[in-house]
Amino acid sequence: MTGNNIPIGPYHPLLEEAEYFNLVIDGETVVDIDMDIGWMHRGHEFISEQKTFTQSIYLVERICGICSTSHPIACVHAFEDVDNIEIPERAAYIRTLVGELERIHSHLLWLGLAGHFIGYDTVWMWAWKYREPVLQMFEIISGNRNHYGMMRIGGVAQDVDPAVIPELNKHLDMIDKKMAMIAKVAKDDPVLRSRLKRVGVLSKQDAIDYCAVGPTARASDVHTDVRKDEPMDAYPWVDFDEIVLPNGDVYDKLVVRVLETLESTKICRQCLEKLKTVKGPVLNNVKEISAGEGLGRYEAPRGEVFHFVKTDGSNRPVRHKVRAPSYVNIPTFTASCKGIPVADALITLASVDPCYCCTERSFKLMDVNHDPCTLDILALSREKTQQIRRELHVD
Amino acid sequence: MAETTGFFQDMNTVISDLVEKRLRYYFVVKDEDLHKVVIYLFKTMGCRLSTATATERYDAIEVLYHFSHDATGTYYCPRILMTNKDKPQMSSITRIVKGAEWIEREMAEMYGIDFKGHPRKEPLLTKDNSQVRVQPLRARRIS
Repeated sequence: MTGNNIPIGPYHPLLEEAEYFNLVIDGETVVDIDMDIGWMHRGHEFISEQKTFTQSIYLVERICGICSTSHPIACVHAFEDVDNIEIPERAAYIRTLVGELERIHSHLLWLGLAGHFIGYDTVWMWAWKYREPVLQMFEIISGNRNHYGMMRIGGVAQDVDPAVIPELNKHLDMIDKKMAMIAKVAKDDPVLRSRLKRVGVLSKQDAIDYCAVGPTARASDVHTDVRKDEPMDAYPWVDFDEIVLPNGDVYDKLVVRVLETLESTKICRQCLEKLKTVKGPVLNNVKEISAGEGLGRYEAPRGEVFHFVKTDGSNRPVRHKVRAPSYVNIPTFTASCKGIPVADALITLASVDPCYCCTERSFKLMDVNHDPCTLDILALSREKTQQIRRELHVD
Repeated sequence: MAETTGFFQDMNTVISDLVEKRLRYYFVVKDEDLHKVVIYLFKTMGCRLSTATATERYDAIEVLYHFSHDATGTYYCPRILMTNKDKPQMSSITRIVKGAEWIEREMAEMYGIDFKGHPRKEPLLTKDNSQVRVQPLRARRIS
């Protein structure tokens, strides 16, 4: 690749995971981008074929630490799809509750990182502070702050004690209040708007062409949300809005996530209300899965997570395909990063909330003359925010 | 659903072995008809490619594309069978669906499938890793 190349990764102190992007720049402008992935390829699909169905659920739970319940939900949907297995109503509400809590903590995690990348460390500390009660809610529900081990074929592993529902509602009240405050900041702060509006635009057509999913697609005016398209578990019975915005820039991606978090708390409240009255078992006794093919999906915080299984009547899958949302969202960088200033590259790359554990992946800036480039991309990004602050006379 | 009826009427001559399940349609397509089916699904119906799954069977290498029709929650899964397991070869759909680039590269390195017309034939996940064996997901027999 010719041009000024700025290498970032695969093991860069700025980034949380192993990743490698090759940005070709001409002066201050990014003219091309290439991605190199595979640094975290662990062969989950192959390993799953050596495991029993229940062991496979535990395995896919460990693909990613952030969406550690989205993969199991999609996985059990796939196994259940082979024989059209139904789950008890109470289990459906518990699955949806756990899935939505994960969306809240994942969006707050992203919001914190995005704030840090553009020099808004207050947002970073707020977001991560208010994420903590969500993890505590997980601990109350499942006993674990992460890797909850809740999903089973035919339902969930454990019930939610009605005695803890008031405490869970109290945490939701606090999250709602704080998210409303963050939403107001995102809407009213002139620096944030100037910094993120019209930055890293992904057009609707590009989002469709690259088959983007989740908030990345919905911020580009593409209606795709598994919870609405193919409602499963308790989603047919709960009331919530699909958040779709028209501009495709980083600002819209931020607003989509903030508003989705508020929708998620709405869903959680409805689930908790139902768990007070809906009685019954939380797990159907599924003795075997017949030979066939099953396809399962779930709207993870980053978009549709997809699992496909092929079974032969034994107690393990003979083929298990996993596709995480970042796998289809990361290639959209090719469309959204070209032509933008280098200082905007970092937040543009971060705007899809790329998960490298799920996708296996990696960042590099190159000079037009192939010279190594020593630009500090985080410092550039944060400096641009400071410059906007000075221009707008905001301290 | 009008879209489904229209698709199966229009593609009647090029698809076979249809398996219908709740909101899922699996069917076999010949390699020469793949582009016709993919253009109909992606361009005419507005389906989104979720991903594709390659599998090694006793008799063939199979590639199953998963197209999601988000408006109805339906999946259309065209299946391509390559009986020459020593040199599996089929047409790439990347020039029609940009989102297929990575998954076709991954299937090529994992199963040794040659995707004709793919714009970038190089490994995706195992590049520069000398410890990974060639075609790591081959040599397992699935009936």
